[in-house]
Amino acid sequence: MSSKQVNILLADDDIDDRLFFDKALKEIPITTQLTTVHDGEQLMNYLSENSENLPDILFLDLSMPRKTGFECLSEIKHNKKLQALFVVMFSTSYSRDIIYEQSMIDILSKIGAQDYIRKPGDFEQLKKIIHNVLIRVTEERQLNAQGENV
Amino acid sequence: MAKIKNSEEDELTIALAELAFQKEEKEKLVAELIIVREELAFQKEEQGKRAEELGIANIELVFEDDEKGKRAAELIIANKELVFQNEEKEKRAAELGIANKELIFQNDEKEKRAAELSIANKELAFQNEEKEKRAAELIIANSELAFQNEEKEKRAAELIIANKELLAFTYVSSHDLQEPLRKIQTFVSIILENENDNLSDNGKYNFQRMQLAAGRMQQLIDDLLAFSRITTTELKFEKTDINTIIEEVKAELKDTILEKHATIEAIELCPANIIAFQFRQLMYNLISNALKFSNPDIPLHILIKSRIVKGSKLNNKKLSPDKEYCHITIKDNGIGFEPHFSERIFEVFQKLHNKEVYGGTGIGLAIVKKIVENHNGIIIATGELQKGATFDIYFPAN
Repeated sequence: MSSKQVNILLADDDIDDRLFFDKALKEIPITTQLTTVHDGEQLMNYLSENSENLPDILFLDLSMPRKTGFECLSEIKHNKKLQALFVVMFSTSYSRDIIYEQSMIDILSKIGAQDYIRKPGDFEQLKKIIHNVLIRVTEERQLNAQGENV
Repeated sequence: MAKIKNSEEDELTIALAELAFQKEEKEKLVAELIIVREELAFQKEEQGKRAEELGIANIELVFEDDEKGKRAAELIIANKELVFQNEEKEKRAAELGIANKELIFQNDEKEKRAAELSIANKELAFQNEEKEKRAAELIIANSELAFQNEEKEKRAAELIIANKELLAFTYVSSHDLQEPLRKIQTFVSIILENENDNLSDNGKYNFQRMQLAAGRMQQLIDDLLAFSRITTTELKFEKTDINTIIEEVKAELKDTILEKHATIEAIELCPANIIAFQFRQLMYNLISNALKFSNPDIPLHILIKSRIVKGSKLNNKKLSPDKEYCHITIKDNGIGFEPHFSERIFEVFQKLHNKEVYGGTGIGLAIVKKIVENHNGIIIATGELQKGATFDIYFPAN
């Protein structure tokens, strides 16, 4: 079992953002396996088909056609098979207004999102942010594994 | 001498005749006396009888007298009674007379009243008619008002929809505008990083300018969005500790504060009834404004203080003299501004400096003004070039 490889699922309808994401992952010193879906419906189908083999982390874009990130998050967190999934909300922010953004983060964390990332305009920053999230996930995975071993 | 003799003889005959006559008279008288005697005896007898009768009659009379006395006494009593009754009757009569007069007076009054009432009645009838007319007019006016109200409600509903649409439009457009912008920025950053060796110095410079322009556009979109949100969102007032807001803003601006060696001194900030998130934005904008326009030669010092003050003491037409106001002062020792710009700095897109020297979109203070207006308050800026700026905010304390 490749315990060091992190399985990542990205749900984003935007081709450029998928390209940036893929490019960033390749430049991060962590081994990853990326799967992408292009809208909310695709995402929910993928998850129900792979509920026995869920990814380590889901990057979920907030605004997608057919089913929004909000709806997907809510469905995931209300589904017993899926609710343990580590979900990072990923968004072109509506605004960099801190107060507004904070209220959105509050709502998302209430629904059950593990993290929220505003897509930055700088590629280096994007890499840094994704890297930090991946470090957090691997650490939590190690902690869980230790807990199971004890 | 003969004659005398004759006379003497005559006289004698006369006297003799006389005597004869008297004798006769005497006999007559005696006869009469006897008759009278008899008559008297008879009368005596009769008198006895009468006396007897009188005695009886007397007894009778005495009895009658007694009776009469009794009757008289009774009569006296009865009389007194009658007198008394008479008196009473007279009194009653007098009283009745008075009562009668009174009744007559009252009757008169009643007639007067009746006359007055009939006049009043006519008046009322007239007024009733007028009222009915007014009521009819009111019904018409009411239906007119109802119609106007409906129209107003329609307009209000339309406005709400238009507002929502505007809000949605602002969000969507800012989102849609930001996405391509962010991509331009990201692509530029990838090129600058990955193709750095392949680019000429001029090419690098141009990409850097492109990055700056994109950054300014993003700032503009963010500020416009914030401005529209200040105008369109619901206003929820709550008692808030301004000190906490200042602390939050300071934490947020921590890096710039360190970089500028700025000190922010907040004295005795009273709790106030405010729209908390807007007020936070207001403080953020004013403090970042002070940080931005600091004097590079002097460490920046920002003083924030507040007090509660009666409107009558503020001498400002826009403030009600009866109300109590929360007066917040934000004063800095930065580069200030020329006094005649004190109004213009609050207008949207108005800037006093070239964007190459001081960045920004010229929306920050417009947002501040909007927020103060949302709090039914006013803001006054005073400044002098190179001598700092002061912002005085007044809004109702309750």
